[in-house]
Amino acid sequence: MIELENISLAYNNHRVLDGVSFTAQFWERLAILGGSGEGKTTILKIILGLIRPDAGRVVVDGQDITGLSESQLRSVRRKFTIVFQEGALFDSMNVKENVAFCLREQGGYSDEEIDRQVETLLKRVGIERAIDLMPEELSGGMQRRAAIARSLAACEPRMMLYDEPTTGLDPLTAENICGLINDLSSGDPGERKGNIIVTHDVVTASKVADRFLYLKEGRVIFDDDLPALLNTDDPELRKFINSLLLIGKEAYPTGG
Amino acid sequence: MRVQKVLAELQDFYVLAVRSLVGIFRKPLYVRETVEQMDYAGAGSFVIVFLVSLFIGMALSLSISTELATMGLKMYTGKIVGIAIIREVGPVAIALSFAGRVGSGMASEIGSMVLGHQVDMLRVFGMDVVKKLVTPRVVSATLMLPLLTVIGDAAALFGGYYISVFVSHQSGSFYWSQLAAVMSFKNLFIGLAKPFLFGYLIAVISCYMGLATRGGARGLREATTAAVVLSTIMILVANFILIRLLFLVLGMDA
Repeated sequence: MIELENISLAYNNHRVLDGVSFTAQFWERLAILGGSGEGKTTILKIILGLIRPDAGRVVVDGQDITGLSESQLRSVRRKFTIVFQEGALFDSMNVKENVAFCLREQGGYSDEEIDRQVETLLKRVGIERAIDLMPEELSGGMQRRAAIARSLAACEPRMMLYDEPTTGLDPLTAENICGLINDLSSGDPGERKGNIIVTHDVVTASKVADRFLYLKEGRVIFDDDLPALLNTDDPELRKFINSLLLIGKEAYPTGG
Repeated sequence: MRVQKVLAELQDFYVLAVRSLVGIFRKPLYVRETVEQMDYAGAGSFVIVFLVSLFIGMALSLSISTELATMGLKMYTGKIVGIAIIREVGPVAIALSFAGRVGSGMASEIGSMVLGHQVDMLRVFGMDVVKKLVTPRVVSATLMLPLLTVIGDAAALFGGYYISVFVSHQSGSFYWSQLAAVMSFKNLFIGLAKPFLFGYLIAVISCYMGLATRGGARGLREATTAAVVLSTIMILVANFILIRLLFLVLGMDA
């Protein structure tokens, strides 16, 4: 279980998070919604211990990780993996080396084993043909797929974190990525791999999450399921959802 | 508040400077990365170092021989050029070009990795970022700059020779014998101790600036600029301090 308690953070006197609290199980499918610059990505980084909050604490599986050192955090981070907005592939390596990165770093695998695993993973995310390409030669969607494959090779994460996984993608590719995210978190609640997805796209969120948080001015002002979100009477949130659903209807004529 | 921030940054810098060295003695050793960085910093800088040194040597020789000629002391060109190049101009000029080429490269590469979340990704994968990114660069710069300095010094002395003999019409063998006289252990030691320190400083400063990059393209510009500017200042400050110390240690009175 992940517990965030009263997390606050400011950058250069600009308050990004102001007492954010929520609890999530590892198998939950959670979406954090909010406009740009509302500190959504920051929350993911705080969960991973990449950023230390100014106040409040993060508890993962009963362990307070807020004050841990970089080496102590390693075992905590193994429970998660993250897919950043643009994939964050290592741009000096091709797709194969990127996916093989963690296997090589961990050591103990033969070259054939690594090749086999990389192929299997790339097949799983559907970009086996891109194996020899460099990151800059990949489209946005392929970059994210490669990043997902790389993260899956890292370890057996209990929860996947996604930072704007569909932003900047065409509708069809976005749909495919949503499908992939759902495949990876399929299974019974309680056993499956959960995900936290950070996005400003309600349509994407509605496809991959069961629980929705809305962040405004550094606070969680909404935390409930989809029907509640669609029927919210908060005027601010209403506006956010309406505008996005409208775009959503144009972008996804059959869905949304 | 401001003082506090500066102190905190100094502390971070100090920690990085120490940890980058500690990384050499702990497994895993990133040999491939280190060799790659050596190739980039060493072999890649050969041409710029060679050209910069050659022209500095020629200009220095020309200025000095012209000045000495007015006193009838032209034949001592080799001696003065030799001391100047080996002790001072060579190490400093080469370190400055090295900072411009390699330091800026390190800062911008690491900076863009920070902005592209690649550094975060390394941390998520449980990697020691200092060991993986900083140590190979520090090792390569610290080892490569002295080598480049030897090559650069040689190029500068040849440039000086060319001007003395073919422009200033002096005896070539006398130039070399003058030079041989100044190649004492003390002079060579001073000239070759410096680039180790300079290389280390350039790499640590540049990596620190790269890792501290925030805020997009503008942030990257600032990080790269800061890396070069700070390296330049630190090279000159460290040069003075080191010279002072070495003179004391080697018993050379001013």
